[in-house]
Amino acid sequence: MAVVAVLVLHGLLALAAGLSGRRLGRRVLLLVACGPLAAVVLLVAHALGLLGSGALATSVSWVPSIGLQFDLVLDGFGILFWWLIAGIGLLVMVYATRYFAPRDDLGLFASMLVLFAGAMLLLTSTDNVLVLFVAWELTSITSYLLIGFDDHRAEARASALQALLVTGAGGLALLGGLLLVAGSAGTTSLTGILVVAPTDPAAQAGFALVVLGAATKSAQVPVHFWLPGAMSAPTPVSAYLHSATMVKAGIYVLARFAPAIGPVVGWWAPVVVGLGGVTMLLGGWRALRATDLKELLAYGTVSQLGFIVLLVGHGDPELVHAGATLLLAHALFKATLFLAVGVIDHQAGTRDLRRLTGIARRMPTTALALLVAAASMAGVIPLFGFIAKEAALESTLHVGFGGPAMTAVVVVGSVLTAAYALRLVWGSLATKGPDEVDDDVVEPREVARPAPGFEGPAVVLTILTVAFGVWVAPADALVVGATTALVGPEAADIHLRLWHGFGLPLLLSSVALVGGWVVWRWPGSVRRVAVVTARVPDMEDVYRGSLRGLLAWADRITAVVQPGSLPLYGAVVLSTVLLLPGVAVLRNLALPEGLVVAESGLQVAITAIVVGAAIGAARVRRRLSAVLLLGAVGYGMAVLFVVQGAPDLALTQLLVETLSLAMFVLVLRRLPERFESTPWRFGRPLRVVVSLGTGIFVAVFTLVAAAANRQGTAAADFLERSLPEGGGRNVVNVILTDFRALDTLGEITVLVVAAIGIALMVRTPVEPDERGEVGP
Amino acid sequence: MSPDVALPLLVGLPLGAAAVSLLLLGRPLVLQRTVSLVVLATMQVLSIVVVASVWDGSVVSVRVGAVDPAVGIVLAADPLGAIMLVVSSLMLWTVMVYAIGSQRTKEQAPAFHPLYLVLAAGVAASFLTADLFNLFVAFEVMLVASYVLITLGGSRDQVRHGMTYVVIGLLASTLFITAIGLVYAATGEVNLAALAVAMDQVPTGIRTALGLLLLVVFGVKAAIFPLFQWLPDSYPTAPSPVTALFAGLLTKVGVYAIIRTQTLLFPTGGEVSIALLVLAALTMTVGVVGAIAQNDIKRILSFHIVSQIGYMIFGLGLFTLAGIAGAVLYVVHHIVVKTTLFLVGGIVEERAGTGALDRLGGAMHTAPVLAVLFLLPALSLAGIPPFSGFVAKLSLAQSGFAAEQWVVTGVSLAVGLLTLFSMTKIWNGVFWGDPARAAVSLDREHVVAAPMTVATAILVTVSLAFVVAAGPLYDFSERAASVLLERGAYVQAVLR
Repeated sequence: MAVVAVLVLHGLLALAAGLSGRRLGRRVLLLVACGPLAAVVLLVAHALGLLGSGALATSVSWVPSIGLQFDLVLDGFGILFWWLIAGIGLLVMVYATRYFAPRDDLGLFASMLVLFAGAMLLLTSTDNVLVLFVAWELTSITSYLLIGFDDHRAEARASALQALLVTGAGGLALLGGLLLVAGSAGTTSLTGILVVAPTDPAAQAGFALVVLGAATKSAQVPVHFWLPGAMSAPTPVSAYLHSATMVKAGIYVLARFAPAIGPVVGWWAPVVVGLGGVTMLLGGWRALRATDLKELLAYGTVSQLGFIVLLVGHGDPELVHAGATLLLAHALFKATLFLAVGVIDHQAGTRDLRRLTGIARRMPTTALALLVAAASMAGVIPLFGFIAKEAALESTLHVGFGGPAMTAVVVVGSVLTAAYALRLVWGSLATKGPDEVDDDVVEPREVARPAPGFEGPAVVLTILTVAFGVWVAPADALVVGATTALVGPEAADIHLRLWHGFGLPLLLSSVALVGGWVVWRWPGSVRRVAVVTARVPDMEDVYRGSLRGLLAWADRITAVVQPGSLPLYGAVVLSTVLLLPGVAVLRNLALPEGLVVAESGLQVAITAIVVGAAIGAARVRRRLSAVLLLGAVGYGMAVLFVVQGAPDLALTQLLVETLSLAMFVLVLRRLPERFESTPWRFGRPLRVVVSLGTGIFVAVFTLVAAAANRQGTAAADFLERSLPEGGGRNVVNVILTDFRALDTLGEITVLVVAAIGIALMVRTPVEPDERGEVGP
Repeated sequence: MSPDVALPLLVGLPLGAAAVSLLLLGRPLVLQRTVSLVVLATMQVLSIVVVASVWDGSVVSVRVGAVDPAVGIVLAADPLGAIMLVVSSLMLWTVMVYAIGSQRTKEQAPAFHPLYLVLAAGVAASFLTADLFNLFVAFEVMLVASYVLITLGGSRDQVRHGMTYVVIGLLASTLFITAIGLVYAATGEVNLAALAVAMDQVPTGIRTALGLLLLVVFGVKAAIFPLFQWLPDSYPTAPSPVTALFAGLLTKVGVYAIIRTQTLLFPTGGEVSIALLVLAALTMTVGVVGAIAQNDIKRILSFHIVSQIGYMIFGLGLFTLAGIAGAVLYVVHHIVVKTTLFLVGGIVEERAGTGALDRLGGAMHTAPVLAVLFLLPALSLAGIPPFSGFVAKLSLAQSGFAAEQWVVTGVSLAVGLLTLFSMTKIWNGVFWGDPARAAVSLDREHVVAAPMTVATAILVTVSLAFVVAAGPLYDFSERAASVLLERGAYVQAVLR
């Protein structure tokens, strides 16, 4: 129940923040911080063994018939994620109180932030794949609203949309994939699916879609580009969503599936590991060329996410263990870096490394935090990042097939990481020479010193980065718990160590650091390679192009299907009649035997008049003539009814015909005198074909339908019951006023309303339309 | 109250009230308003009585005038009809509240209230009648009122676009009456239950032809591809409450008729099922593509109606229990959410004088409540969890995959993303941005009367309640689907 309580609290806080935002000002951020705080309390209580065994598992029913229920189970892997989500969430919310100037819509911001935190907690604690998707989409939507928080900037709005569409498309793939997999496994339970581990074609397609969805969320190549774009968000959002938590949702899913699916689905490990490897290299490469500090960090995040995917995607216990370690290490150092860069940006008014100089002296605390975090990222002993990197190299060296390739990728990636870490430290903190900065450089003395509370959160995280390096036990407990939850109890023996001795991993770590220094110190080589890689199309351009293409294509399609021509719309309806039921009738053509064409010459004559008037109505150009000829058709039909011996029917027909004629004439007041000429050449022939076709269809269908009747009609019943039950000899009257009086009531209503409509049209003066024109 | 009283009252009460309302012409408007609100609220209560009596999956019926079903008309409510009645009544009274608060929408026009009540009677009769010809009459009652309502006010533009609506409507009615003639010729029956039995005797080919013809007839009303073209042309120009009501309700009466006739009269699916799935995929796609291309709130929303009709037809076309249950759930969700969005669009137009995206902006800052009232149903419409649209879409996708209809199910998921895209278009154009830089803004001097906001908020609340009650609601939809597929209970109740 404790898990449910924490989740519900997040929802309530989101509501409260939305409602009281204006009143509380910046304190609303402290209000919502109670959510992550509660989660932290829960985690601490659990770590101290204060909670009962049932505290972390609850099931709440939602739509059980379609497998939607909140099966909440917080296992070791979930706990690792909860620590990241709640711990960093708490720090970020405190940080945000200093980051923002007072503004009206902070309530909305706080509301979205705590809603996001709740969604992430739900995502990592549910055993139901459909609920996982629910949480997944909630993070996408809150991310959209948070990226676009500075909504007066067009760039922020565009980035928000880009992130939403890319991760939304990924969410779509994930949903399709999860449904296929769940369908094959016969359960929507995540553990259930992993136990069954289905491998039929539908499930394999499902897994492919799951990988696709996870890759978009975790910014893997080639859909990584939304993440650098998302840097338009306020820095607390970048630190929290786009480095520490949301982007790891994809990794969460891959890590859950990999140990069970990797061994049984042949393509899984090569594809996922390959994806991670390519992303690690490309992200690192792009980070080397960024001049915006947040963009640099974003590409660094892309690279590190690729690194983690490479580790957890394989499914091997040792690799998973290293992946979980890196997950924790990355969250600690990358959140610190974002928070520190946010402080610099906030105080200096820019985060362009060509305009910054001498920052270290203006804010030594932040500078130290940034330095330590960057060192951890680069893998400098004795920080926690070093431990993670050692664990990674240790495990890739042990993997049989593909191990050397993975090791090589990790080493090259680490070289790039060390290089951009140096670039980051130099770019943000160093006192630079005049030739290393732009003309509009921000003078250090113009940079105000940050308030202590503003720098605090980064310091807390930095302390953890150092502490976990030298005192590895708490981190080890967390990581071992996560690994055993993923791969089973056999992983309990894999432990973290600061010092692995002088071995190949240490050598490779050192190579990476030295290599990174070389790459950073001699950027000429970077520039030369950049000339080559610039020819590769940028995925962001591809995205923009396809969005433009989609809009243009939508315009064209809509212009074709929606030309605004009433005659065409009618023709489409009738053509559909000919195409669907028409073809069905043709395929089952059976006319009744003994067909009588006409009973008298009078019938033939009247029919000829009706047909003539109908053809005339279709041919004349004046609207009024057409309406009159239509009237002739109607009156002709009335005469036909008289001849056929149905005077009451004829009378009705006459009345209706007169009424509709009157209505038509009134409408015609507001329309041009003549029909517009048809714009296309084939218009007339087509109309002839459609009208004749429809007429023939109805006639033939009537004959065929009558021929198919083997049961007689209800007429016998009416004749029999008319006198005894209706008390009348005139069957038509009894039907109209007794048996089916409801129909008559309805038809009377129709006539009254039609009359009202006419009266209104006659009485209302024609109002000018938008263009100010008044009808004739 | 027993259903014997409730069913006839649901039709008779609004019809009688329409007459009273007509007599009140020229008296103070408050009298007409009172009559309308009291009657529509009563309909809500009656419909809840009906839904309670069929909650367990039974069917209730009453013979009109106590005439034997062999010659008379029977009104019947099964779970599908009952839930449609409940949701429709909700739309009818909330939109009426909204219209009363609105300044620009001709609610003060002489015949608005009587026409509205006639429309209500027609809608109720459509959901209740168990007679094909009476269904035609109910449609006509509903449509003739809608013809006048859509041209109410009568600017030149409105009459021209209203003409499209009226002419295509009449064409469909002509085809409908033709279809009834053909059905009668082939079977000698118009009572739906009797037809369900008699249709089994008709040769398969002719049955398919009749099924397809009725599909086209109701397809025009429901605006499925390629019969939808009238809708995006005629809806956006009508007064906002009218558009909202039509958008939420009228096309869904067409969908209801498709579900009713196809399951009851042509239950084997077969070729009709294939036609339905193909049309569903095309309807979903063309509708959403059209929506993307628009730059006006009401026009975007109008195209979305088309797209979402496709989802309902998709569920029906599967002819499985889960598929039809999903379709029923989708219809119920859609009516509420779609109406809400049009009401929001109406408020924007009333406040800013336009619904053009490139002229608006920054409303989130000047009208935050309205922004929330838009955002929640918009996300629901796009099928974003945890909103009602997600549950409906999920149940459809699940049943689609279960029936191994990969393509149409894939389309239904992909269309969701495009729907989301077009919703962000409205959000980006109207609600985000700097209000100072927009050509027109929803500033604090241009506010709307409270009833408009309250009515909209009520509907948003209801759609949120659907999320909480999704479990029981889905189970009820499943019972509705089971009654539709098994037919026996309905036939017995009508012919007893």
